[in-house]
Amino acid sequence: MEKQLLKVEALSVSYHDVKTTVDAVRKADFSLEKGSVLGIIGESGSGKTTIAMAIMGLLKKNAAVEGNIYYDDMKINTLSEKEKNSYRWKHIAIVYQNHLDILNPVMSIYDQITEGIRRHRTHSEKEIEKRMKELCRMVKLDEKWLCHYPHQLSGGMRQKVLIAMALCCEPDLLIVDEPTTALDAVTREEIIDLLIQLQKQKKITMLLISHDMYVMKRLSNRVLVMYEGRVLEEGFTKDVLEKPMHTYTRGLLKASLETNPYQDLWGIPGEDIENKEKGCVFYTRCVQSTQYCQSHSPTLQYISLERKVACNRGGIITLLEGKNISKTYSYKNHLTTACKNCHINIRSGEIIALIGQSGSGKTTLATILSGLLKSDTGEVYFEGKAVEGNNFTKIQQGIQIVFQDPFSASNEGFTIEEVIMEPLEILKLGSIEERIMKVKRVLEEVQLPTSQGFLERQCNSLSGGQRQRLAIARSLVMEPKLLIADEISSMLDPSTKANVLRLLKGLQNTRGFAMLYITHDLMLARKIADGVYVMKEGEIIEEGSSSKIFYHPESDYGRELLGREVEKKEIGYQS
Amino acid sequence: MFFMIQERFIKIRSYIITFLCIITLNFFIPRLMPGDPFTFLSAEEGQIHTTFSYEDIQRYKSYYGLEQSLGRQYINYINNLFRGNLGYSIAYKEEVVTIIKNRMVWTLSLVVAAIFFSSLIGVILGSLSAYKRNTFLDKILYFDLIVLSEIPAFLIALLLLFFFSAHLKLFPLSGGISHFTAFTSFGEKAYDVLHHGTLPLLALILTRTGTFYLLTRNSMIHILEKDYMRTARGKGLKKGRILFLHGLKNAIPPVVTRIFLSLGSILGGAVLVENVFRYPGVGSLMREAVFLRDYPLIQGIFLIMTLLVIVMNYIAEILYKKMDPRVS
Repeated sequence: MEKQLLKVEALSVSYHDVKTTVDAVRKADFSLEKGSVLGIIGESGSGKTTIAMAIMGLLKKNAAVEGNIYYDDMKINTLSEKEKNSYRWKHIAIVYQNHLDILNPVMSIYDQITEGIRRHRTHSEKEIEKRMKELCRMVKLDEKWLCHYPHQLSGGMRQKVLIAMALCCEPDLLIVDEPTTALDAVTREEIIDLLIQLQKQKKITMLLISHDMYVMKRLSNRVLVMYEGRVLEEGFTKDVLEKPMHTYTRGLLKASLETNPYQDLWGIPGEDIENKEKGCVFYTRCVQSTQYCQSHSPTLQYISLERKVACNRGGIITLLEGKNISKTYSYKNHLTTACKNCHINIRSGEIIALIGQSGSGKTTLATILSGLLKSDTGEVYFEGKAVEGNNFTKIQQGIQIVFQDPFSASNEGFTIEEVIMEPLEILKLGSIEERIMKVKRVLEEVQLPTSQGFLERQCNSLSGGQRQRLAIARSLVMEPKLLIADEISSMLDPSTKANVLRLLKGLQNTRGFAMLYITHDLMLARKIADGVYVMKEGEIIEEGSSSKIFYHPESDYGRELLGREVEKKEIGYQS
Repeated sequence: MFFMIQERFIKIRSYIITFLCIITLNFFIPRLMPGDPFTFLSAEEGQIHTTFSYEDIQRYKSYYGLEQSLGRQYINYINNLFRGNLGYSIAYKEEVVTIIKNRMVWTLSLVVAAIFFSSLIGVILGSLSAYKRNTFLDKILYFDLIVLSEIPAFLIALLLLFFFSAHLKLFPLSGGISHFTAFTSFGEKAYDVLHHGTLPLLALILTRTGTFYLLTRNSMIHILEKDYMRTARGKGLKKGRILFLHGLKNAIPPVVTRIFLSLGSILGGAVLVENVFRYPGVGSLMREAVFLRDYPLIQGIFLIMTLLVIVMNYIAEILYKKMDPRVS
């Protein structure tokens, strides 16, 4: 193991105003090995830049710092300003976030870069000139720009100047703050390549701050995920981006265009709450929070080798687990194997697509998972408890299922109100008024009218799309944690299909339930799914993240299936 | 390139228009005042003067061309002006240019010294105040300098005169130099001039420093918050370099502009202060000229002063461009 160059222990930073105190960083712990790149990722205001400024000792006077920062085993956060000056820029330098005001507008680029060299290295003009030539070559900046002023430079050139400025004294530790914001795609790529090259050549230890997943993926070895000043997840960048273990990390990934080229982008819903003294900072926006999370703040703990998560529930929980499920139908001595040793895992808040051709056993598996059909072998667990019969479909916060055919899913003789209210009545939940309120709320959510006239209409007077939405509303009234949707869009026209799907995805995002989406439409699966299971002849032949299955399928069948879809698309373009 | 030429043309044109307006006002305003150079309206300051008879007045008027119509006089004035002839003082019987030249030395040295010291002190105290913002020092400086700058210059001058000259007898009561004295050396003469000039200068400095202080303080506070100041700190530079090179270099352009633009108002202040101290500058001269309705002299003084202000405005503009690379 390499030597730890930077070590941060229980670092807390709070900004004091006349009236308010803002905790920008709360007890952050991390360390950085020599020659490695550690990324810090998080939404704006999560405390990333504050950490960088705390390491540099550049926080404003109204900031109170607790905890320890060690650089090369020397505690640096309690040094005097004069002592700090001896390590700033010489040993630890920062590539500031790029904007016009970051460089002095009345000083030439040359003066602004050389003043660091003059302060820490040498006064010899000859050497300075030599070093400047070197730096320009390194960051690929034309020397003619040196005599210009910051306002005469483009954003990309300014970024290069900032990098050259930080590298001028050959620091051991380089903090890079948002190196690619506000750059166009080509320049961004150029800057990333430049940083990678510099890091490899010079073996610089780097602390990279960004909210850009792509930059993280390209540059960092390890990553910290921060929210409201707390580190919520830590691990190897590759692992964290591929399989996030915190709901917040997953939310960030879902909101990133780089990791989701085909899916709609959904931000993390919900607002911050003011008072976060007690409890988990992410409590109000988390899809799997419990009462316990409101009052108990989780600590960052190992959940596996090299992976830490700060979550009271140990990271994203497995909501549904199907083990070894087999089912054989027999008809006149003819045996049909619908499912064979199927394993399936659904984590909370996740959309899993189960894809395969008709007759591959998808619906059988889904029905078994819901408990409505008994399997021959194997077990199904929902939040750790065995699923038997309707024990989870009959309760709130359990499993609900929406079927393919909207017309046979609801009783034609019932009114709309009766259909939706039925489960509430059976379970005797709340008073009549409360039930009606709930009915109206779910109708609103699925964008159906809530007038008394509509509520009293018979189901058979609705169109296919409306019937499907009604079926969704009926399942949502039970506030399920898992919604199994079995080909719900296959009988709908394209426009209605798009509306229903967007609606469902939106509801899933705000309510945070998990979904098992069964479909034979690969393009649709690619559009909505986080994870994919591929079924063929009753067996699950491939599983993995959406990006893996759709870009690098491993099984022959997967490749064939995908190849055909792509072909279909190409034919579509040609004709 | 074309744009630049066009811009310069517009600028020159605006200066010319300003100048024409000024000389016109310069001509008419003295003549709008009641009275004329030969009729004394009051016998202020105990002067011994003769009262001219009606015939005398008519004769003098036609001698100085004042019986002509205003339009005619105006054309004559403009004609002479462009020949570089500012006219002949009626009261002093001397070339206006010569009179102003002799007096201007006194006023200009007073004004330039006042601007120099007040801006220097203002900038230093302003920077200090901004750097030590919200401390006791800042609050004391702020309060005192604002109060001082709100008091009219002549009032301060009177107070100084009462206290230092009349009461403590540290400085002469009036004048710019001791009369009827033979100075043995240049040093002795210089000391005498400085001795006379101290109080008028002090009065001007006291009233002007506040403006520069406040401007520097505001500008500096604004600059100290800028991200490039943090960038400079991050480089581990020395405090002096950060504050003066990175900070003041950015904060100073508006202050320098104000220094040059404030010439007009300082000249105004100097007129009053000179009168309090009977300082032999243009200020006293102006008062006398107005009192005597000495039209050519009044016109000459105003013209020179406005020209000075315009030139200073122009210099301010050029300097600003030099100081801030973003402007040019």
